[in-house]
Amino acid sequence: MNASAEWEDLVSTALVGTDRRPIPGQAASEVELLERAAVHTLRTRAGRRPVTGVEPPAAAAPEEQPVIPPAAADRFAGLLEGKGPKLLDEWLEAAAGRGYRLAPHLLPRLLDHAAKDRSIRPHVGVLAGNRGRWLAGLNPSWRFLLEEVTSAAVTGFDGDEVWELGTSGDRRVYLSARRAADPAGARELLAATWEKETPADREAFLKVLADGLSDDDEPFLEAALDDRRREVRNEAAYLLSRLPGSRLGQRMAERAARHLTLKPGRILGGGKILVTPPETCDAAMERDGIRAKPPHGTGEKSWWLQQLVARTPLAVWPRLFGASPRDIVRMKVVDWRREVVAGWVRAAVVQGDPAWARELFLDDPLADLLAVLPPVEREAVAVDFVRHHADRHGRLVDRLVGVPAPWGPDLTLAVLEKILKLSSGNQSWYVGEVTRLAGERVDPALHDTAARFSPEPPIQEVAALLRFRDDMLKELQ
Amino acid sequence: MEIDVVLSAQLASVRCVIERWNRDQVLALAPDASSQKAAHGVSSPAKWSGTGVGADALWGECKGSGSKPYRACVDLSEPAYKCTCPSRKFPCKHALGLLLLWSADGVPAADEPADWVGEWLDGRRGRAAKAAEAGAARAAKAAEAGPADGRRADRREQRVTAGLADLERWLADQIRQGIAGSRRHDQWDALAKRLVDAQAPGVAGSLSRLGATLDGDDWPARLLGEYALLHLLCVAHRRLAASSGSPASSSDGAGDIGDAADAVAGADGEVRGGAEAGGAVPAGLLQRVRDRVGFSMTKEEVIAGGTVRDRWDVLGRRDEENDRLTARRVWLRGRETGRVALVLSFAPAGQALDASLVTGTTVDADLAFYPGSAPLRAVVAARHRTIRPGAGSVTARSGDAGIGPGGVGSDGAGPDGSDAVRPGAAGTTAPGPETPGPETPGTSVAGKTVAGTVAARGEDVGAGPPPGTSVRAALDQVAEALAGDPWLDSWPVLLEGVVPAGNDLRLLTGPSGGLALHPSVGTPWRLAAVSGGHPVTVAAEWTPRGLRPLTTWDEEGRVIVL
Repeated sequence: MNASAEWEDLVSTALVGTDRRPIPGQAASEVELLERAAVHTLRTRAGRRPVTGVEPPAAAAPEEQPVIPPAAADRFAGLLEGKGPKLLDEWLEAAAGRGYRLAPHLLPRLLDHAAKDRSIRPHVGVLAGNRGRWLAGLNPSWRFLLEEVTSAAVTGFDGDEVWELGTSGDRRVYLSARRAADPAGARELLAATWEKETPADREAFLKVLADGLSDDDEPFLEAALDDRRREVRNEAAYLLSRLPGSRLGQRMAERAARHLTLKPGRILGGGKILVTPPETCDAAMERDGIRAKPPHGTGEKSWWLQQLVARTPLAVWPRLFGASPRDIVRMKVVDWRREVVAGWVRAAVVQGDPAWARELFLDDPLADLLAVLPPVEREAVAVDFVRHHADRHGRLVDRLVGVPAPWGPDLTLAVLEKILKLSSGNQSWYVGEVTRLAGERVDPALHDTAARFSPEPPIQEVAALLRFRDDMLKELQ
Repeated sequence: MEIDVVLSAQLASVRCVIERWNRDQVLALAPDASSQKAAHGVSSPAKWSGTGVGADALWGECKGSGSKPYRACVDLSEPAYKCTCPSRKFPCKHALGLLLLWSADGVPAADEPADWVGEWLDGRRGRAAKAAEAGAARAAKAAEAGPADGRRADRREQRVTAGLADLERWLADQIRQGIAGSRRHDQWDALAKRLVDAQAPGVAGSLSRLGATLDGDDWPARLLGEYALLHLLCVAHRRLAASSGSPASSSDGAGDIGDAADAVAGADGEVRGGAEAGGAVPAGLLQRVRDRVGFSMTKEEVIAGGTVRDRWDVLGRRDEENDRLTARRVWLRGRETGRVALVLSFAPAGQALDASLVTGTTVDADLAFYPGSAPLRAVVAARHRTIRPGAGSVTARSGDAGIGPGGVGSDGAGPDGSDAVRPGAAGTTAPGPETPGPETPGTSVAGKTVAGTVAARGEDVGAGPPPGTSVRAALDQVAEALAGDPWLDSWPVLLEGVVPAGNDLRLLTGPSGGLALHPSVGTPWRLAAVSGGHPVTVAAEWTPRGLRPLTTWDEEGRVIVL
């Protein structure tokens, strides 16, 4: 009997008991069994041999990127402990933007995090380095990484190879770079492989064409209106609505003229807009991106009208009504004002039209509209809003989120003044939110200015957060 | 000219500052996860003023909610902590935050500590000296045991003997009736209580841990193995106690403690320990049996038995909560002696544990080992200094820490258990696997310190991992240790040149083969990330069911706590 068979025999005897199954020739079977079991147990423990014949996985490829500095690695680990997701995002963007890779021992935590949070994956693709991709090949829950941008695309070496062989993230980055340098070339590159791309890639690549959009792109986009994937059709329709000369633009202009008409007033610009909403949503409208089924709680006509306005090139309206955007926004809209203005707001945001955004913001200070304005104007508008109008329009935070970082000195001062005022009044309940937003958005180089502004705790809190971010970014230099 | 002298002196003092610990090493000192989080909150430079770091101390004032800042100070040589905040956590978040700030290079070097820091340091060192004196006095008093103590000791011996006889009968009953119905977690409670009453807490503890054998499909085999080892302990105690007239010294009894015990070390068929063939009971084994039964020793008694000075690498640590008590095991290995050591400390769950041994550091210290064969558990008798890892890179030595003479091979047991090798031969008298190199180093000799290769002690150790061994050599060390202590269930190994491989990467494999991880350890992703498929050094805890990885070192030689 070999050792393991003998052991199995001992175990099965022990299970039923030596009373029922005595060991032959032994007076005290139970003692004999225990002693043999002890011998066996120790022999197994002491005599264990190394396991042979198991090959380790192929080693990870050597790294091509510099590893993040140790202080930055420590800060990253601290951010994962929870200083707030915004700071982590900023760190990831800054570190990836500088082409660093993360120290290997931190990779599992980063990848676990990215498995839950899609939005950070483009940065993670860079930070993971070759070691991260090696790990992703071993762990199915990290496999998403293999589709993300790598540092090769960011540092932009051999383009043709990236377009042919890269991950979809790499190809997107490459297409963007190509689009910036040569818009027509990029479109042709995409058109050549268009039929073979996956639906998700078609959608992602089409979005790249938003930069450098021109009438030259119109035939390609018009064809994309018949794509199999709804998101692709939708994206094509939005791009075309930014081209007033497009066939889609013309169709939308005709629809606009059918459903919205001007009843001139006695004084210039004092007219009224009369609305007859669409009665049906026909196939042609659907092809142009108007969705037939309204979301729950919205009426059909209201839904179709809103989309019709949103998808119409904004350049159509001044021609149609013979007035400037400023006057049009101030005109009375009979019965359907809410839908029409909502459509214009959506159009201003999607078509990125600052002239309309400026006028619409004065009507209703929506954060999305601020984001459309050129940075200098945006900051001036925001300063004016914070100083003079914020109190009338509810929550300051909801508006200020439309001003992306970094906030300059003027807006910073205006917001700090506002925080002091709010914290001394009885509105302190939402000071915390404004404080946090300011800490996240103000240019971190202004931390000294903030620290000297006032010794009040909320201001010092902003200053501390700014200093943290300043240190954080300096570590990554 | 004079200015130059002053400047270079200042530079020298700055250079002497202890190598900064990394973030993981600092966080490992925290008593719990919430303390780690809180420490981040107070680790920003804006919170601190008057910070400084000297040769062996770190201090600063932290803005709190009150008007007076909290003063926090860390004695880096121990480390020990002091803070004026009212927190009951230890170290508190301020001390940890200060360490984090220091770890991120946010604390300027200073020549002289602030006054309040100096006072605290002096006070602490004064108290330490007094405590040592008091301890020595207690030990001296304990040594002169009176007749009352003798009677008490006799009574305990009788109780233990009766308790173990009870256990031996109980085990036999189990095997007679069969263990098929034994998959119940409460079945040992009453028995464990009886053994506590019988003043055999070691055995009682083993019983209360039996619940862990019940998970998994192979529970009958594992339970039988544990029952068999308990039986072995009962038999060993009975025979050794009977054969050695007085428990503290070996005498002329029969050396044979049973076939099973004999077979323990018989793996390679080599007969060792000719000395006890004449019948003397090996004192080391007797001590080991008494230790496993639960006869405890005071720290002073252990230290009185002699100490070993070495540069000890802190390999790693593991905390385990059991019955509302957290046990912290810190594993050490001596650079000169090659000996391994386990420093145990306990605290009620949720309270701070001893954080004085920082993973990845090397301390020059005197360790006193609890006596017995295969000595492992030790106390720190005296710390001389924390050696900073030098700046240079280290060329790791290949696994040459081979086994000592008479080593137990790992090639499996012979066809039967008849190879009679006396366990305990690898105890305190023979150079064990833990003694590579030509010296016969630090075995405990009563009353004095035996040093290893002292000559090299003054030198700093290099950065990067300490020199490790191959998988095969590690298994040989474990086999040797099992020969001295058959009840051993954990032993530190430092594997060099291993790669995570196999299913779920749960096999650490090197040129001589691989070792599986413990079933409770998942895929070691952090270790895999550090390795990237390349060989690394890993400190791990060996257990009969597999390895628990503790620590590794990355490509830049930094310690990574796993």
